[in-house]
Amino acid sequence: MFAVEARGLTKRFGEFTAVDHIDLLVESGRIFGLLGPNGAGKTTTIRMITGLLKPTEGYVRVYGMDVLKNRRSVLRMIGYMPQRSSLYDDLTVEENLYLYTMLYDFSRQEAKRRTEELLKEFFLDKFRDRLVGNLSGGMKRRLALAITLVHDPKLLILDEPTVGVDPPLRRQFWERFRQLVSKGKTILVTTHYMDEAENCDEIALISHGRMIASGTPEAIKRRAFGGELIEVLLDREPPCDPPEFAKIISVNGRKVRLLVDDYGGRSAQLMDFLRERGFKILEMRPVRVSLEDAFIRLMGERS
Amino acid sequence: MRLIAIIDKELKQLIRDPKTIVMVLLMPIFLTILFGYGYSGRSKFPVAILNEDRGGCGYELVRKLINSEDFDVEYYVRTFDEGVELVKEGDVYATLVIPSDFTECLLVGKSTYVQVIYDASSPTVAQSIMQLVGVIVLKYQEWASSRFGTFSIKPTFYSVYGPTVTRIENFMPPLMGTLLQLVPTSLISVSICRERERGTFEQFIMTPVSHFEVILGKFVAYFVATISDAVLTIATAAILFNVQFRGSLLAILLLSSIFLASSLALGLLLSVLSKNQLQAYQASIFVFVPAMLFSGMFVPVRLLSNVAEVIAYAMPIYYYIDAYKAVAMKGLPLSVVTSDVVVIVAFTAAFFLASMRMLKLRVE
Ligand SMILES: Nc1ncnc2c1ncn2[C@@H]1O[C@H](COP(=O)(O)OP(=O)(O)OP(=O)(O)O)[C@@H](O)[C@H]1O
Ligand SMILES: [Mg+2]
Repeated sequence: MFAVEARGLTKRFGEFTAVDHIDLLVESGRIFGLLGPNGAGKTTTIRMITGLLKPTEGYVRVYGMDVLKNRRSVLRMIGYMPQRSSLYDDLTVEENLYLYTMLYDFSRQEAKRRTEELLKEFFLDKFRDRLVGNLSGGMKRRLALAITLVHDPKLLILDEPTVGVDPPLRRQFWERFRQLVSKGKTILVTTHYMDEAENCDEIALISHGRMIASGTPEAIKRRAFGGELIEVLLDREPPCDPPEFAKIISVNGRKVRLLVDDYGGRSAQLMDFLRERGFKILEMRPVRVSLEDAFIRLMGERS
Repeated sequence: MRLIAIIDKELKQLIRDPKTIVMVLLMPIFLTILFGYGYSGRSKFPVAILNEDRGGCGYELVRKLINSEDFDVEYYVRTFDEGVELVKEGDVYATLVIPSDFTECLLVGKSTYVQVIYDASSPTVAQSIMQLVGVIVLKYQEWASSRFGTFSIKPTFYSVYGPTVTRIENFMPPLMGTLLQLVPTSLISVSICRERERGTFEQFIMTPVSHFEVILGKFVAYFVATISDAVLTIATAAILFNVQFRGSLLAILLLSSIFLASSLALGLLLSVLSKNQLQAYQASIFVFVPAMLFSGMFVPVRLLSNVAEVIAYAMPIYYYIDAYKAVAMKGLPLSVVTSDVVVIVAFTAAFFLASMRMLKLRVE
């Protein structure tokens, strides 16, 4: 069973189509990243998945249950962190946490216990009596994450959880995500940061409300360029004819970049090919393309 | 329990919002003082006039009354019964009736009369009114005689038993009505849209809260916060203006709470229907103005035009003021105003259910 199964998800605001027939399958126990430029429709998609917005078309199931029809049961499985801060500025850190524990039906004592637990876990102990309105951005995000975990949900849905968070804290967040996933939770997260996207088990790229690509980061990169890149440094400038299994991407003096379908399988073949023609191979390595390159290429293809 | 948690949260937010202090603590004191001095500053007797005269002489007499030092002509009525009603309800101390053949009689030098419907329940007031009317009529008679020849105008008296209120107490029904409509409605009307605007709703409604819990939680918290409006108003009026309450304080408070509840329920409905705080505020003012105008506060509902009368009956405040007069000023038991109470409760239930129905636990 998928943690999230969305089919044909579409949202129109009047004439404007914000999300256009998106299918998402999030497997349990993974970090699934939703990527896309501003206004791509990430938040709209997430809100439909949480049941906060009614899709114009399509449906969403969370652990097999329809999010609109089985709202109550679904809510207990989801921990949601909205993009915009949703904390009560006029309540203290502790009051915010306690409120949410109570809203999830904890008894008074359990709620107190759970609040303490989370205050410690997220290093918010010292600020417990501070009004949330007076917290720094990073602390607010920490508290927001703590709140999503109040009821120990199976699925975390986080809309840009690390926006406005400094690099050390971002790393902490991602370490925690890994930790949560290793305990069996599933995370659906949106982000703008490419390094974060690389950390996902699976990603989906959307732009203008449409799904452009999805899969593991490696698969997406491969798809973007139609294969993998090999860089070879030769002892002299090469003649032009490449082998039929490779395509020349660029020639820069004695440095040549070639595109092959699979680095592991083709590198030996390429070596033989070059040796046969009397070249000396000074260096040969796979080129690491960044996800960013891949995305730019993928989006470029679309438009 | 979830409901308790919501009430607790709302109360904390209310206490920390400086606007609440103004609305809940200062507003009742301020308005009571304003109304109190406004009314007590007037030393004239409020009267109504029923001018049935077909000629111009009756109007001359009315002018004399308007210009007099002793009377405030507050209402003009159309029928004798209306004149009697006003005195009975304590809206005025007397109604002066000028007969239809007044001018006719004067012109032919025939004696005629002016009838005074007066409140006999407070003898001292009744006596002064009889005397003062006598003086004015006599003056008018002298003036008229010099033109039309000798005749006499005799004041005749018709006694009615009014609510035995002192002047000052008359400000209480409109004051209580105004406060208990304005403050709760406008305070609570922004409560839900504020959460939507600030974004706090998006997280809040991802918990398993029900429509009922959201509405009732806010309702109870705001009720607890605004009940002090009624208490403070009564206390200020009693302390500063020595207002006497003939009915039991408990009955008055109970009645006021029921009306307060209807104001809150209405405010909640406005909050559910509004897109943002500004809209909600405007909506509560939009409701408040007709409530104030047509509630019998300035003009008794009986004297309104038909359309306005219908509007008045469509507002809980009318029934509250009616019931308040009976319970607080005449000292009647609550059982006498059962029908008023039933109507207010029905309004409350309707507003409450409608808000629950219309509330969307989504972010659209
Ligand atoms: N309630 C709404 N009414 C009309 N248009 C909307 C509404 N909500 C979102 N949109 C539009 O839908 C598009 C997608 O918005 P969305 O917030 O989902 O994008 P996003 O990918 O989350 O962007 P960002 O990275 O900036 O958060 C935008 O063009 C936005 O203006
Ligand atoms: Mg967004």
